Amino acid sequence: MDIIKSYSGEIKIFGLDNKKADEEIKENVGVVLDDMFFPEILTPNDINITMQGIYKNWDSKMFNDYLKEFSILPNKQIKTFSKGMRKKLEIATALSHHPKLLIMDEPTSGLDPVARAEIIQIFQTFIEKDDCSILLSSHITADLEHIADYITFINNGEIVLSKTTNELLDKYGIVKCTEKEFKKINKKDYIKYKKSKYEYEVLVPNKKEFKAKYNISVIDKITLDDLMVLMIKGEE
Amino acid sequence: MIGFIKKDLAMIKSNFKLLAILIVIYTVMGLMDKMDISFILPFMCVMIMISTFSYDNYNKWDAYSISLPNGRKNSVKSKYVATILMTFIVAIITTLLSFLISYINTKSINYEQILVTMFGTVFGTLLVLSVMYPIIYKLGVEKARIGIVLLVFGTVIAGTLLLKYVDLSNVLKSLTFLEDYLIIILIILAVIMVYISYKISVKIFSKKEF
Repeated sequence: MDIIKSYSGEIKIFGLDNKKADEEIKENVGVVLDDMFFPEILTPNDINITMQGIYKNWDSKMFNDYLKEFSILPNKQIKTFSKGMRKKLEIATALSHHPKLLIMDEPTSGLDPVARAEIIQIFQTFIEKDDCSILLSSHITADLEHIADYITFINNGEIVLSKTTNELLDKYGIVKCTEKEFKKINKKDYIKYKKSKYEYEVLVPNKKEFKAKYNISVIDKITLDDLMVLMIKGEE
Repeated sequence: MIGFIKKDLAMIKSNFKLLAILIVIYTVMGLMDKMDISFILPFMCVMIMISTFSYDNYNKWDAYSISLPNGRKNSVKSKYVATILMTFIVAIITTLLSFLISYINTKSINYEQILVTMFGTVFGTLLVLSVMYPIIYKLGVEKARIGIVLLVFGTVIAGTLLLKYVDLSNVLKSLTFLEDYLIIILIILAVIMVYISYKISVKIFSKKEF
């Protein structure tokens, strides 16, 4: 979004160069940043008036409908809102100019489970529309498992892994075995392993194939948390 | 850009009351033939607008504003336009009130004196804006406040030294022919000054990362 300058390479959004077509791209993107970013002394009504003068496609009716849906009072100053309400207001703002892409940095962090579930529900409704997508960064992996179609795992600025969620959750598995069993496993058949006090945890890219090849019965379903820990802390 | 201006005005709407009170005080003092504080009013507009920089910074609005269409350019442009607009509106109100006060007090209106005072005040206000805004964009409001204090001190010291060692009366005498064109010169200078300041601010803000 040009908030940070790029030093090399190019970025294309909707097939357009992000520097040359800045305005066109931003008209079609809704953004929610990590921190709160609306001046606290404004009211949701002020945000509505402001955005009318910023986005060509701003939809006041849609915005007010969202406010009603989220029980946000339009005339109250933002500083009186809870964290969850502020996040909802930010999301309502990001959605109300009919964007095709939402870019969200940790939209659910710091929220209680109920608010999180509500927000995930809004996202789900949004992506059900044909040409709409969300780019979401989150440390709350449970949310990602619920909503994401693709997962890209970045560590220290490098892409460690990029797959569809189904592939990750259905195919990948964690094999739990003894040292003796572990030594029988071919290096090609696993990605990483972690040695704990009593057992070995081995990350395998294909549960079914592994099961057919080796006589090890304990293969657990993987969660994104396990995957992250093993990918970063595991040994090759 | 209109959206950004609306946002800034919405943030300072509580200050409009203060401005209105000041205008009333000015009128009362003028009618009582006490001190003329008309110069304070347009100047207040810049001071009030500077507070929007604090709000923006404190609430991390700047990073978000960049993600809006044409955000980098428009957020800077809107600050200048909103400040100049407010200054002009307040200056016009003050001028009209000055005419009224002058008429009530003396039954005649000293147009020339009032207009020259107002042009001078608006010029001074625009000078402050032109100096302050690029500094604020570069250093942030807090450091810019220290910057402006140093700047004022520097100017005063430089001015004092200049008066001590240089005989200004000759210089002033040679400039008297400019007197007739004073207002036009002030307008041209103000336009150049604000334009250069705006360009510098845009350049500074276009390089900022959040």
